[in-house]
Amino acid sequence: MGVITDNLPGVLEPLPGGSVLVTAVDQLINWSRSNSLWPLTFGTSCCAIEMMMATGAARHDMARFGAEVARPSPRQADLLVIAGTIVKRMAPRLRTLYEQMAEPRYVMATGSCAICGGPFMYHSYTTIRGADEIIPVDVYVPGCPPRPEAFFYGLLTLQKMIREGESIRHPGERRRPVLAALPEGMTLDDIRKEMQDLLSHDANVNMTEAAAEGAHYSAELKDF
Amino acid sequence: MEAPNLIAAVQALQPDATVRAQSDRPTLIVPAHALVALATRLRDDPALRFDLLETHTAVDWLDEDRLELLYLLTSVPLGHHLTLSVSVDRDAPVVPTLCKVYPIAEWLEREAYDMFGILYDDHPDLRRLFLEDDWVGFPLRKDYEDDFMLERPE
Amino acid sequence: MSVHVSTLQARISGESTASSPLSTEEYFVNMGPQHPSTHGVLRLVLRLDGETVREVVPVLGYIHRGIEKMGEHGNYRQFVHLVDRMDYLSALANNWAVTMVVEKAAKMETNDRIQAIRTLVCELQRIQSHQLWWGVFGMDLGAFTPFFYGLRDREQICDIFEKTIGARLTMNYIQPGGVMYDIHPDFVKDVKAFLTYFKSKMPEYDALMTENVIIQERLRGIGKLSAERAIALGATGPVLRASGVAHDLRKSEPYGLYSQVDFDVPVGTTGDCWDRYWVRMEEMRQSVRIVEQLIDNIPEGKTFLVKPAAKIKVPAGVHYSHVETARGVLGVLLVSNGKDAPYRIHCRTPNFNNLWCIGEMATGGRIGDLVATLSSIDIVVPDIDR
Repeated sequence: MGVITDNLPGVLEPLPGGSVLVTAVDQLINWSRSNSLWPLTFGTSCCAIEMMMATGAARHDMARFGAEVARPSPRQADLLVIAGTIVKRMAPRLRTLYEQMAEPRYVMATGSCAICGGPFMYHSYTTIRGADEIIPVDVYVPGCPPRPEAFFYGLLTLQKMIREGESIRHPGERRRPVLAALPEGMTLDDIRKEMQDLLSHDANVNMTEAAAEGAHYSAELKDF
Repeated sequence: MEAPNLIAAVQALQPDATVRAQSDRPTLIVPAHALVALATRLRDDPALRFDLLETHTAVDWLDEDRLELLYLLTSVPLGHHLTLSVSVDRDAPVVPTLCKVYPIAEWLEREAYDMFGILYDDHPDLRRLFLEDDWVGFPLRKDYEDDFMLERPE
Repeated sequence: MSVHVSTLQARISGESTASSPLSTEEYFVNMGPQHPSTHGVLRLVLRLDGETVREVVPVLGYIHRGIEKMGEHGNYRQFVHLVDRMDYLSALANNWAVTMVVEKAAKMETNDRIQAIRTLVCELQRIQSHQLWWGVFGMDLGAFTPFFYGLRDREQICDIFEKTIGARLTMNYIQPGGVMYDIHPDFVKDVKAFLTYFKSKMPEYDALMTENVIIQERLRGIGKLSAERAIALGATGPVLRASGVAHDLRKSEPYGLYSQVDFDVPVGTTGDCWDRYWVRMEEMRQSVRIVEQLIDNIPEGKTFLVKPAAKIKVPAGVHYSHVETARGVLGVLLVSNGKDAPYRIHCRTPNFNNLWCIGEMATGGRIGDLVATLSSIDIVVPDIDR
C-alpha cells in the first residue's frame, strides 16, 4: 500500500461525513485492484497446463478479466495461483515466494493437490496435504485439474471477494477462505440436472441405462 | 539375438552367471564383484553391443533379507534386451558403480541410493537425488516408517 | 569398505577450473525452482564464467511425490490413474505403458478395436503434446505468437478427447482389459475435421517458425549432442533421434497397431537444437499420417473385455514393458509376488534420462542458449521426479 492509501483514512476521518468519503475510496480502490490482478507464473504440475490454456490460449483469455499480466517475479505479482502438488522440499520455497509478494496479495489454490493433496494424499512421504498448511489461501478451485472455466470462476469469486470484503482501514479482515461458491439460488440438484441434460444432449448418453449400469458397477466395486 | 543364444553368449563371458527364473526378459544373476568387468564386455562385444542402460533400480526382499539390483540393458543397433540381477545384503549394501561403463548410471545409482540406501563404491558424486540431504531413512524400503505418511482408511 | 556420501553444498563449492587468462572469476547462479523457463519446478545450479556456462548441476525433488511407493499400496487399476500425473502431456501413453505390462504379465486378451483406439488416441496426444511444446518453445525463444497458434490448435484435440474420454489432460482411459469407454459417435467425424484443419495450419507453423531466419540462426549449432553420447546418457525419443539414431519403439518393437501402419521415423544429423526442432515438426506430420490410415479402419468389437471391477492377479516375477511417448521411452518395471497389488513398481521415464543431456549440451555455451537448449529437450518435471 502506498502513501496515499495509508494516510487517506487518517486524514479524512475527523471530517464530518468522512466515513462516507472513505467508503467510496474503498470501493474505488477495491474495484481497481480486483480488475488488475497480476498473477505470478507459478506452476508445479498438471494444473499449470490447464492454467496456461486459461491464461494464454485463444479460446479462454484471462485478459478479459484484467488478469493477463503474468509476472515471473513475485515482487511484481499480487496473485499467487498454486497450480499443482506441493511437496516437502518445495514448501519452504513456496513460503518464500509468498513472503516476497507485496501486500495486498491473494492466493488461489487450484486443483485437488493444492487443496488437500488430492490423489497423492495417502502413502506419500513427501506430499503436503493442502497448500493452506504453508500459506493462507483465499479461494479454492476444485478439479483434477480444474477446467479453464472453473479456474475463471475461481478468479471471479476472488474479484468479488476483493470488491466486497476488503477495507483499507481493516486489512486483516480480508482473510476469509471461501470455496468457489454456488451462485445465488442454485442448488447441487440443479447442477446435476443440467449435467444430465448436457450428457443426454451432447454425448447421446441414455441416462436411465447409465444409471442402471452405474448401480451395477458400484455393486461390483463392493467386492473389492 | 534370441533369448537362449543370448544367455549362452553371456554365460560364455561369465561362467558363474545363473538364469533368474520368473522374468519375462532374459535375466542373469551375477556376483557383485564381476559387475563392472562383465558390463564392459557386454557393451564392447560386437555380437552383443549392449550400449543402452535402459534403467536401473532395486527391489527390497525384506523376507529374504536382501536387496536385488536390476540392470536393464538394451542394444539399440541389435534390438535385444538383457537384465542383470545382483543381490546384496540389506545391512551392508555395497556394490561397484557402473558410471564408467554407462554414464547415465551416475544418476540412476543416485536414485537407488536415495530410495534404498545402496552404496555405490567409487561413485563420483554419491548423494541424495530427490530428497533433502538430511532426510532420515530410505523410503522405498519395505520397513520404512514415517510419521508424516497417512494410511488409506479401509 | 567405506563409501563416501556427498551433499549438494559440497558439490557446488568446488575449486575454480578457470585456465585461460581471459576468464573471469566464476560464480554460481540458481535457475529455479521458480523460473518461467524451467517448465515447472526444476532447479539448475549454474557455474558461470561471465556469460559462458561452465557447469550445469540439476537439482531435483521439488515435485517428488513418491508415486512408486504409492503404487505398492494400491491395485493395478489404481496405479494407472497415478501415472497420468507423471508426464501429463502424454497421459494416454503412460496409461498404456502400465496397461501393457499388466496385460502381458497377466496374459489378458485384447482385440483389434481396443488396439486401434489406443493407437489413435496416443497419436492424437503426440500431436497435442508437440503443439504445446512448439508454442512454449517459441515463447522461450522470445516469440509470443507461436504460443497462441499452438494452444489454439491444441484445444481442437482437447475437444475430441473430452467427448470420448471426458477429460482434457489426465485421461485414465486405457485400462488393463480395454479402454474405459467406447469412442464417441462423433469421434471419426471430429478427427477427420481436425486433420483437415490441422493440415491447413501446418504451413502457418512453418511460415512463422521453421522458415524464419532468426529462428534458424538462433538454433543451428547450439546444444549439440553426438549419437554416442546420447546413447551413453540414455537419451530416447526426439532427443536421441535428432542425434541421428533411428531408435523408435513403434518401429523396432511394434505394439498396438503400429506394425500395420506406414510411417517414417525422422532423424536429425548433428543433434543440435535445430535438429530437435525439426524432428518434432516432422513427427507431427507422421502422426497425422498414422491417424489418417487408422481412422477409417477401426474394427468392430467390444471395448472392454474383463469385468470392470474384476481383481487382476499378476503371476510372480519381473515384468517389463515400454512404449514410445512424445518424449521417449517410458518403461514400467513390475515386480510381482502373485498378489493383486504390485510388490514393487518402477517407472523408467524418458525425461529423467533426457534431462542429464543438458550438461553435455550446454557446457561451454552461452547462458542465453541454455534456455533454448533446455526447451528443445522438452522436459516435464513431474515425470523426472515422479
